[in-house]
Amino acid sequence: MERIVAIWLRLSVSEQTAFLIKSGIFLSVCGATLFVALAASYPAVHDTLHNVRHALAVVPCH
Amino acid sequence: MFLLLGQPLWAEELNIYFKTTPRVALLRPFADPVGMSLLVTGADGRPINQGHVDIRLDAPKPGLFFSTDFPFVEGTRLNEMRLGLRQGRANWNYLLPIRGEYRLTVDVVSLDGTKASTVFAFKIRENERKWFTLAGFSIGLFLLGFAAGRIFTQARAAAAVFISVALLSGLAGVSAEQEIVKPSHTAVLEIESAKVGTATGVQWRLESESTREKPTAFLTLTINHLEKSKIVFGVEKLSVAGEFSMKFQFPDGAEYRVAAVANIPGVPTIRNEQIVPVTGIEPPVTAMVPVLSYFLALIVLGLGAGRWSKLRKSGE
Repeated sequence: MERIVAIWLRLSVSEQTAFLIKSGIFLSVCGATLFVALAASYPAVHDTLHNVRHALAVVPCH
Repeated sequence: MFLLLGQPLWAEELNIYFKTTPRVALLRPFADPVGMSLLVTGADGRPINQGHVDIRLDAPKPGLFFSTDFPFVEGTRLNEMRLGLRQGRANWNYLLPIRGEYRLTVDVVSLDGTKASTVFAFKIRENERKWFTLAGFSIGLFLLGFAAGRIFTQARAAAAVFISVALLSGLAGVSAEQEIVKPSHTAVLEIESAKVGTATGVQWRLESESTREKPTAFLTLTINHLEKSKIVFGVEKLSVAGEFSMKFQFPDGAEYRVAAVANIPGVPTIRNEQIVPVTGIEPPVTAMVPVLSYFLALIVLGLGAGRWSKLRKSGE
């Protein structure tokens, strides 16, 4: 699929560059998910995952 | 079971011993209240008859990288109070909130004015179950990165389906109507506005009809964490001369019940109770940086390992 898109857009990147781009996007999504789950003060998220935060021993909570 | 902690202090003919129940090695943070006991003896080894101890309990200092789950408690004063000695002993209960090394500073003054001071340091280990949970979570993040690393490397498959599974996965009220006889004494329980991270003043004061009369009362004071149903502090039948005050830090942003029961010979039991809402403080984002960095580093490590395993297999 990605190759079709790349050919269609006449874009061509090396395999290493493609890996870095995909990894970067993946890490950003993971980082955002972890931040919301473990650090956000939004009550609905905080209250739901309050025990998880404390169970991990190193995650600061109030 | 009692275990002696620390060395006796030889200072101006007074020895101070500190014990916890259960022993320190078995204590875990925010588990059960710990029975704490001080014994003060004279040079002859006998408990001193009368006197008082000033107690200050300080929380462990912040760690170098990771914080505990109560970062605002770290390095702060948890408790400060004066207890009268009974047969050389002072006993109280306390729920230790975090792991690390606590420092208990004790200043003793006997009835004849002899003074002695010492500091007891004791280390509380983290609950093993929490370390197992953290290890499992860390392994899960690594495997997530590993799978992604394999998928992102040399995508030959016609369709790569990537499924990432996030691994984040009242006691009975006290009624004043119990009083059969109208008491000649009443008491007031005053608690300052409580906030996590700072010690709060807690004062119990006897108010008698005669302002001069301040009889000795045997005070039982307990502080309960309502959500966890845990006793976080308690003293039993403490002999006080009409007044008891202390500084106490509520470690968690939750509701606590402070209950005082005072017994005075010849007077009906005096009860006071107060619900204390404690203002919690969300830790700053900067406190989250080390732990989030650690979790992301695990995923990066997994990505690298996944890519390496895929390339190695392709090269064979």
